[in-house]
Amino acid sequence: MKTAQKCSLFLAIMIFCSIGLSAQTPLTEAEKRIFVDVEKRAEKYIDQREKFNGQLPQLSTDSTPEQIIAHKLSLRKLMQSARLSVKQGNVFTPAASRLIKRTIKAEFKGYERTELRQRVLDADTKGVALKINFVYPESKELVEMSPALLLSLPQLPEQLRYRFVGRSLVILDRDISLIIDFMQDALP
Amino acid sequence: MKQIIIFLTVSAFMLGGFAPVPASAQTEVVKTNGDARLTLPSAADSIKFLAIGDTGTGGRQQKELAEVMFEYRKIFPYEFVIMVGDNMYGGEKPEDFKKKFEDVYRPLLDQGVKFYASLGNHDESTQRFYKLFNMNGNEYYRFNQGDISFYALNSNYMDKRQIKWINDEMGSDASEWKIAFLHHPPYSSGKKHGSSSGIRKVTEPLFLKYGVDVVFTGHEHFYERLKPQNDIFYFITGAGGKLRSGDVKPNSPLTAKAFDKDLSFMLLEISNDLLHFQVISRGGETVDSGNLPRREQ
Repeated sequence: MKTAQKCSLFLAIMIFCSIGLSAQTPLTEAEKRIFVDVEKRAEKYIDQREKFNGQLPQLSTDSTPEQIIAHKLSLRKLMQSARLSVKQGNVFTPAASRLIKRTIKAEFKGYERTELRQRVLDADTKGVALKINFVYPESKELVEMSPALLLSLPQLPEQLRYRFVGRSLVILDRDISLIIDFMQDALP
Repeated sequence: MKQIIIFLTVSAFMLGGFAPVPASAQTEVVKTNGDARLTLPSAADSIKFLAIGDTGTGGRQQKELAEVMFEYRKIFPYEFVIMVGDNMYGGEKPEDFKKKFEDVYRPLLDQGVKFYASLGNHDESTQRFYKLFNMNGNEYYRFNQGDISFYALNSNYMDKRQIKWINDEMGSDASEWKIAFLHHPPYSSGKKHGSSSGIRKVTEPLFLKYGVDVVFTGHEHFYERLKPQNDIFYFITGAGGKLRSGDVKPNSPLTAKAFDKDLSFMLLEISNDLLHFQVISRGGETVDSGNLPRREQ
């Protein structure tokens, strides 16, 4: 094999290792089903959300701040009203919570865990009320998520986001800042 | 021998460290005592732009820096501004967009200067719809100026979708220059935050693979020019509205030049194979300047 080809192969392998692989063992079939269930529950939220969204004037690429805020408040109000009876665990079932906690723990070890804890616990998220259907305050920081962890967790629809708030892992609606679900003690 | 060097360089960054390479920037420091003075060539056919970050306070200092930006446009007619995130602190009501952005940069907006934003950890995703941020409804996007591609990335949430998008976009991009801007710095000498190693692990292999030349970031409220890392030039320009005075670690092996005494912005010019930069403080002092070569593809 030529030198250039060898180097390319090596680089490709290293990129794959750094991006594509998590620190943990592959999921069993039963565990995969648990993650698929999380994804389905998240999709169910989105189905309802998009139904309401379709009833509202759509935002364009040249929206004014007034239009952006009006859309956010309208959609939020509709979703809050529709989800009055929704409880904690609507996406993070007990089985999913256990598996996600284990995933996070496996992903962050040693220095990386220390760094994660420092980043999350230093963030300006104190005072955020973790309750289903509550609004995540816009004055509070949104802690960046580790790309490696995002590759290991169930993939959420693009309208939803995982966020750490203190030691809890939260699912937020990115456009209306609504707390969809959360699990406590997720941070190792 | 060449094989060994490549192996060691690649291995070093994959292991989460860094491999300092002697800086090729030729730095000159110009004390201007408040007078707008240009160290850039300001060539007729060059691409001229400005980079700022962590701006959105609406405070007096942000406005004072914007006045210096405006003064410099009289002698260096930059056409657009890239924003490395934290565009809006502490709330995003319509009056916040006015107070923290439109009022501050009104003279530039009135002259047709376009702002291209990326999102920071204090920014809501809905900023992507705001016309004056030119994000076209996307949290991450690309725009071109001449033969230069600019990639605005969302380092808050670098998920599978965004990584695929980067691969697709950069993989089919034959531009001469590729420039990325994002909020969290893959390398930093900041005491409070420091390098965002999680972002680095994902972005740096992609930057290397697709030939990104220069990366602009913020998050740290100071200016830092990093020593080239694996031949990529990194800048932190996160003192556009907030300052974390004295936050740069002294004697950091990463630092080529840093400034944490006042707010600052970067004037930039790309002409053929060189990127020229001049960093200016709120007081009008040039705190760093020089030029960088384009990476060999």
